[in-house]
Amino acid sequence: MPVVLFLSVALIAACGLIYELVAGTLASYLLGDSVFQFSTVIGSYLFAMGVGSYLSRFIVRGLVARFISIELMVGLVGGFSSAALFLAFAYTQGFQLILYAIVLVIGILVGLEIPLLMRILKHRLEFRELVAHVLTFDYLGALGASLLFPILLVPKLGMVRSALLFGIINAGVALWSTYLFRDQLGARTWLRVACMVVLAVLGAGMAGAERITQAADNNLYADEVIFARDTRYQRIVLTKWKDDVRLFLSSHLQFSSRDEYRYHEALVHPGLASLPGARRVLVLGGGDGLAVREILKYPNVDSVTLVDLDPEMTRLFSTHPYLVTLNQHSLTDARVHVINADAFPWLQQTSEPFDFIVVDFPDPTNYSLGKLYTTAFYRLMARHLSAQGLAVVQSTSPLFARQSYWCIAETLKQARLKTYPYHLYVPSFGEWGFVLAGPNTYEPPMRLPERLRYLSVAAIPQLFQFPNDMLPVDAEPNRLNDQVLVRYYEHDWREISH
Amino acid sequence: MIASRRQFLSAAVVGLTPKTERSITGGFIDDGHDPGHRLRDHAAFPAAKQTIKIPLLIVGGGIAGLSAAWWLDKHGFRDFVLLEMLEQAGGNARWGENEITPYPWAAHYVPVPGRKAALVRELFEELGVLRDGVWEERHLCFSPQERLYLHGRWQEGIEPVTAATARDREDFASFFDRVREFRATGEFTIPMELGARPSPLDRVSMAQWLEHEHFTSPYLHWYINYACRDDYGALAADTSAWAGIHYFASREPEEKGPLTWPEGNGWIVRRLLTKLGRYVQTGAMVHRIITQGRKLRVSAGAADYIADTVIFAAPSFLTSYVCESARPVHGIVYSPWLTANLTLDRLPREHDIETAWDNVIYDSPALGYVVATHQSLRTHIDRTVWTFYWALAQGSPADNRRLLLEKNWSYWKEAILSDLERAHPDIRQCVSRIDVLRLGHAMARPVPGFLGSQERRGLTESSGNLLFANSDLSGFSIFEEAQYRAVKAAERALRRLQGTAVQHRDRLVR
Repeated sequence: MPVVLFLSVALIAACGLIYELVAGTLASYLLGDSVFQFSTVIGSYLFAMGVGSYLSRFIVRGLVARFISIELMVGLVGGFSSAALFLAFAYTQGFQLILYAIVLVIGILVGLEIPLLMRILKHRLEFRELVAHVLTFDYLGALGASLLFPILLVPKLGMVRSALLFGIINAGVALWSTYLFRDQLGARTWLRVACMVVLAVLGAGMAGAERITQAADNNLYADEVIFARDTRYQRIVLTKWKDDVRLFLSSHLQFSSRDEYRYHEALVHPGLASLPGARRVLVLGGGDGLAVREILKYPNVDSVTLVDLDPEMTRLFSTHPYLVTLNQHSLTDARVHVINADAFPWLQQTSEPFDFIVVDFPDPTNYSLGKLYTTAFYRLMARHLSAQGLAVVQSTSPLFARQSYWCIAETLKQARLKTYPYHLYVPSFGEWGFVLAGPNTYEPPMRLPERLRYLSVAAIPQLFQFPNDMLPVDAEPNRLNDQVLVRYYEHDWREISH
Repeated sequence: MIASRRQFLSAAVVGLTPKTERSITGGFIDDGHDPGHRLRDHAAFPAAKQTIKIPLLIVGGGIAGLSAAWWLDKHGFRDFVLLEMLEQAGGNARWGENEITPYPWAAHYVPVPGRKAALVRELFEELGVLRDGVWEERHLCFSPQERLYLHGRWQEGIEPVTAATARDREDFASFFDRVREFRATGEFTIPMELGARPSPLDRVSMAQWLEHEHFTSPYLHWYINYACRDDYGALAADTSAWAGIHYFASREPEEKGPLTWPEGNGWIVRRLLTKLGRYVQTGAMVHRIITQGRKLRVSAGAADYIADTVIFAAPSFLTSYVCESARPVHGIVYSPWLTANLTLDRLPREHDIETAWDNVIYDSPALGYVVATHQSLRTHIDRTVWTFYWALAQGSPADNRRLLLEKNWSYWKEAILSDLERAHPDIRQCVSRIDVLRLGHAMARPVPGFLGSQERRGLTESSGNLLFANSDLSGFSIFEEAQYRAVKAAERALRRLQGTAVQHRDRLVR
């Protein structure tokens, strides 16, 4: 009998510690500055436990029933604490207020548990024995929880479900107590019904939590997920960490709002500014509208055609309040035509010529995407360039994927285009590379649109200088029937990660 | 489909869909065996309603017949008709199409032709596949080309490497060394007639040759057996060693190919038909050819043709049933095959590597499947058609032909799904339709002794007014041989016709 009793002590202690850890971890996740977050969460939690212990003196009668009710409340509040905090961060301004409110409530309730339990047990054991055992198991439970949390719970279950699991354990202890202390309990049935209801609610939460946690707890996304949707083509995830919004497509980072201006200014202006007569522009990929935003800075451009596979993507970047601020409503501009189509067949069936083509596809991580980096594709693209036209191609990193980068340049050359490779530093990506390509000799522009944040006329020629560790290496051209690029890319990144 | 209200409600309450197998539709495709068997059984055919005089008639609308027509038309000879038994021309290169993609029914690729295959290159230049000595990238098989399911996972390429031992690797290396030596002899060419010489290799089977050469690796044996089944519909034990070696030694190893299209070689047929469609009559089965003076009377459906010369481009064994005067063709063995096209509404889950063009399962009795959308330029594909190939090589061809006729569609559907299920456990949730084509005499089989066969040579050298043109004259059924045999027959036919025209004119002049 006593061992069983003390086991429940260990369990409730573990639950209490888990909620504390969840609160501390979430606060560090979402707000940063983990030393501050953990210190204040632990401090207020311990303080609240003290308050709870003090308040226990006011509970005089019906100890077991009260204890069970408290267990159920801890289970509910603690179990849903993680989900509530995620939601609070996404939808409210008062994350910190809610954080400390939850920490205080759980702390008070947990602070009530042990004093009440000791009083319930005082008739069964000697005081000396009681204190020793209860506290021993209390600390043992805490040890177990603190080890389980980082090793098993966070990686396997994630934050939301870990909290819910321990909520269920709390409620389970409550239900169990109705049997353990049945001799000290009057109306057992109603308490049992209450336990069942709480268990059901937590269970339902567990099942429903799957959807939120898939995105939020995927360790790829260190930051809070503010939007996640599986479309027919990909998984779109937006994360936010302070003022930094990041877009991931099928787990690959596309941009960070903090430095995307570097990427997109460098993608568009070195080419487009050198073509003062450019009127028709084509963007392949780039459904985020950020390249289009840069293109619209040219009054000479009177039509921009954007071809992106995924209608969800272009709709999101045409409507989401934050994202349209970022792309300055570029996708709903009168000069812009959005077409949702697969780029290769679309290009094949159109005969329209363009003065400037921006090719901004995801990296060639597989053979399907690799088709968009082949001699066949670039030959087709070249046929759509006007006589003075230029194309710019997103070409991965000349530092991290050096052979892949030079393979893309070589492939463009095989399509009988003159190539002008250049690169820049984007903090969230590292060194990144583009290749300008066209039938004619390229001259860097003498003028740029006003108020660019990164590029200047003087800086452009420097982009075309490659330091020693990014200089050209031998690479075969990438062909539909021999996609060397996908193999290079895989190899390059494997080298980096080892 | 909701079986009952109660089932539906219980499913809705529990939140689970009932775990019943989805229904798969489909059936057998017209393979011409009904009219074929009427021929064999000498059934009565209706009398002709009209008689047409024509200098030249081509029987059979497969690659051989169409190639003969191509060559004649190209050389300015237009006075001929091509008769095809089925409603669709193409023979082994015929194709189908649904709302997702066109797909092949049998032959689905042509290896990048070497220098010796001049006619193939000539055709491909005409079709824009070869331009200024460069093969058009879109017609070459895209990456990744092949993969093999071995020991529970997919590997790249068909040559087994997963868990290969040093002995396996040595055997493969020395086998390919031998292949290089054979290639250097110049004996193994495409077309085969240009290099073939009487050879002791033709006296033994490929399996015997492997044993004689002390190749013991089970992987190598599987690989060579696979090659024989794939190209000849026969086990290595039933294939002439000369032919087994020809498969490897006749190809240029450095070419990145093969040439392929969503509808397989149906792509070539389609283009040939746009040029030559006016010569082609489909649904016209030739049921009798008799000699009438110096001419041949060819009965096909409601018409009789009086032809000076006939190019017989259908499988040569059919002449036994059609021609009164022809000796029965016994020497050529034909392999029975089954092909199926599977419509996939969604793609099975993949774990190891991406789906390739040709996907083979190790130790399967079948040959694997080819993905019709592989040559698509799209980056996103969520529905497709797989063409499943199965040469019934185990056991005698006659027994297997009987099996093809006896078993119903459900039997084959089940056999195909069980085979695929090994590599794709969720295949039954993906497939919505399976159409099955049974080919009792799919292709000639190069059995030991085929090379030196008098009968085969006799057909090749026939010089009367009935000229043979099917690929079975080469002993094996590949595009290049069909085209070569047909062009040779067309040349002889034209010489013959021009000869009679010259004689005729001479007589007039005298």
